Amino acid sequence: MPEAAILRERPEPAAVRRMLIASTLLFLALFLVVPVVAVFAEALRKGWGGYVAALRDPDALAAIRLTLLTAAIAVPLNLVFGIVAAWAIAKFEFPGKQVLMTLIDLPFSVSPVVAGLIYVLLFGLQGWLGPWLMDHRIKIMFAVPGILLATIFVTFPFVARELIPLMQAQGTEDEEAARVLGAGGWQMFWRVTLPNIKWGLLYGVILCNARAMGEFGAVSVVSGHIRGRTTTIPLHVEILYNEYHAAAAFAVASLLALLALVTLAAKTVVEWKARQSLEPWHEH
Amino acid sequence: MSIDVRHVTKVFGDFAALKDVSLTVPAGELVALLGPSGSGKTTLLRVIAGLEIPDQGTILFDGQDAAARSARDRRIGFVFQHYALFRHMTVFENVAFGLRVKPRHERPSASEIAKRVHELLALVQLERLAARYPSQLSGGQRQRVALARALAVQPKVLLLDEPFGALDAKVRQELRRWLRRLHDDIGITSVFVTHDQDEALEVADRVVILHEGRVEQEGSPEEVYEHPATPFVYRFLGNVNLFHGRVEGSQVHLGEFSMEAPAELGKETIPAVAYARPHLLDIDHHPPSGRPHFRATIARINAAGATVKIELTTEGGAVVNVEIPHERYRALKVRKGAAVFVSVKDMKVFTQAHSTSGGGI
Amino acid sequence: MGLTLLYLSLIVLLPLSATFLKAATGGWAHFWQTVTAPRAMASYRLSVGASLIGASVNGAMGLVVAWVLVRYRFPGKRLLDALVDLPFALPTAVAGMTLTTLLSVNGWIGRWLKPLGVQAAFSPLGVVIALTFIGLPFVVRTVQPVLQGLDPEFEEAAASLGAGRWQTFSRVLLPELWPALLTGVALAFARAIGEYGSVVFISGNMPMHTEITPLLIITKLEQYDYAGATAIGVVMLVISFALLLLLNWLQRWSGQRHA
Repeated sequence: MPEAAILRERPEPAAVRRMLIASTLLFLALFLVVPVVAVFAEALRKGWGGYVAALRDPDALAAIRLTLLTAAIAVPLNLVFGIVAAWAIAKFEFPGKQVLMTLIDLPFSVSPVVAGLIYVLLFGLQGWLGPWLMDHRIKIMFAVPGILLATIFVTFPFVARELIPLMQAQGTEDEEAARVLGAGGWQMFWRVTLPNIKWGLLYGVILCNARAMGEFGAVSVVSGHIRGRTTTIPLHVEILYNEYHAAAAFAVASLLALLALVTLAAKTVVEWKARQSLEPWHEH
Repeated sequence: MSIDVRHVTKVFGDFAALKDVSLTVPAGELVALLGPSGSGKTTLLRVIAGLEIPDQGTILFDGQDAAARSARDRRIGFVFQHYALFRHMTVFENVAFGLRVKPRHERPSASEIAKRVHELLALVQLERLAARYPSQLSGGQRQRVALARALAVQPKVLLLDEPFGALDAKVRQELRRWLRRLHDDIGITSVFVTHDQDEALEVADRVVILHEGRVEQEGSPEEVYEHPATPFVYRFLGNVNLFHGRVEGSQVHLGEFSMEAPAELGKETIPAVAYARPHLLDIDHHPPSGRPHFRATIARINAAGATVKIELTTEGGAVVNVEIPHERYRALKVRKGAAVFVSVKDMKVFTQAHSTSGGGI
Repeated sequence: MGLTLLYLSLIVLLPLSATFLKAATGGWAHFWQTVTAPRAMASYRLSVGASLIGASVNGAMGLVVAWVLVRYRFPGKRLLDALVDLPFALPTAVAGMTLTTLLSVNGWIGRWLKPLGVQAAFSPLGVVIALTFIGLPFVVRTVQPVLQGLDPEFEEAAASLGAGRWQTFSRVLLPELWPALLTGVALAFARAIGEYGSVVFISGNMPMHTEITPLLIITKLEQYDYAGATAIGVVMLVISFALLLLLNWLQRWSGQRHA
């Protein structure tokens, strides 16, 4: 959309403009730039050696492993679910569609602590399924499976939410054309639907992953905080901080900060690419 | 208030929208800026309005340079192609807007504003709709609200950007005539932009034809239609048949036929193009005397409409379109496939340097 | 279809019903007592109050930031634009830790506040700051696309009718932006209410003073007061549902105006 000439030629007075820009810069600098810089500054407070040592610590490594495992399971699962759900919602009409959409939004709108609470109530010792699980010696709460479930819960809307408006905007024309030309269901999906949504999909996966690795509240409730066994990176960071090992805490946290920056960079690239390929892209 | 456009040039990046355009709009006239898309007509309108600043040239209102004044201060009324009505305001509030944002010392009282708004709404025949929102109105109604809104601040000049472009044909025609009557009532200097030649020719006092950023011709509707100055104007205003050929001595040879070359074309042998409107050609079973004529075969006949349109193929394979009245068609009793003679009542010959008319009546 | 519903029921509906049922086992009176206990009420006041303030600050500043990012050009704009999503991408624990360190008396920002007598860390103010951080992207990102898609013709029309810049902004542009602005504020508020990770470090968690509602739930869980935790959880769920409904209604309202 070309800039309106009236805005180019006679916008608001220069003084007003400068003030608005200045307050924006101040606000964003204080709230965004300073914290990012602070993470890395604090992480390196004990020097490069201290930084590496904190990361090599066995508990830290265990936490990193668990985080990676969680993400490796939660993200693909939610990816598949997200595609299926978005596809069903965008391309079909069925009763209860609105309910489905609200349900998908649900984990987004409940507090992560409540999410964790829900799982404790279900699978904990005093929970619904607690006794049954005990009898079968299946441990979910305060163990890795619990962490997995809680993470899947809080991250499952991400892919779906990215894809639904995208696929709705694209409509069903392409698929219908493919069908008329003789494509079967799977072929149609693989060759027509998927390429159309690839950038939105990628972005959804990136967001899903960032949240899966960084989830704190929900995992905090279900994990039991057993150091070396059921701590993820965020939980490990909390433990270190509370024990006054601030530099080590920030060192491990810097991994997540890096992940966040990578996520932001990936988002920019994906948006740029989507604009280039003229794919319908809903605004952020 | 008269408008004087002097040597205006406007460039967007490497696209020159206006190239050294000059024209005058006398006070009280209704002038149409006509041209295809990309001709610069909307840009010119916006430059006059102060919504664009020209790279070169000036605009004078009543002889005074308007450049120092922004769109706010020029006292012009602008009606946008898509109306630009404020969606969250009622019709009343839209029309009252210009009056309500006046500086304190100029602002009329609330009751005065209400009176003025109702007068204007009566003028555009929309009084009963004062409390409605734009989304509840039809396209034609919205256009009239936009007009009332522009007139509320008593502008010296009214500028309209393709005012009827977004409406369907019937509504367009009605509003066209209504605008003309309105202008006759109020007498305000008005300029409107259109790509529809029927509209321009029917409504305006004067027509300015723009093409690729330049003024091709300026004049009354009759002038530009009967005496087009350039091939572009000829082609743009109505249907046309083209004949390619050359001038040789005192004759113009146009493939199938030849005719007397008008003296202005000179004696050199140069390429020429002749234009003939379909209703200035005739059909007969026998070669008419005194007029240039040629043989052709009837390919299609379309008798639905005010005139009968006949498509013919010449011996050389070219397509010619002729329009004749129904009586003549009935008298001729011709059918598809018939071989007839096409004669030329009037035709204009253009060369690179000259343009003139030729042929006999 | 069936697959999706199955997945959903397992992951969402089952646990959700468990929550409500559990809350019911304690009996209505017990439920009410827990939910209205002074400590709980204090936590609601803090959670809701701080979230409201944070969301409002974001409402005002978010509008300014969106305007500046859409309308003006200045060095570093692209970088800042990308950075706006940081609170969204950064794990809450990291944010909480960092803000605490920054705002405590020795921190980069805290040391400037000390002589002014302002205590940011371990106070309600710290909670407000953390919740403002968390909600920052919401208003900016909902207002930005609307601002970008605004037809310049409205502003041109207003100018041609004699309106000044401020008049054009307040009478023509702002009404167009209201739905998006309110939606953004509601989203920021919803997020802030349930926020745990970024707040739990900076608040100091003093009961009756700086204890947010989600922390109250965790505390009760650690004391094995499942019924109590669930009761408070239900309150939070009710608030979440109400907000979801509000957001839905807001979206429908903004869709209606531009028929």
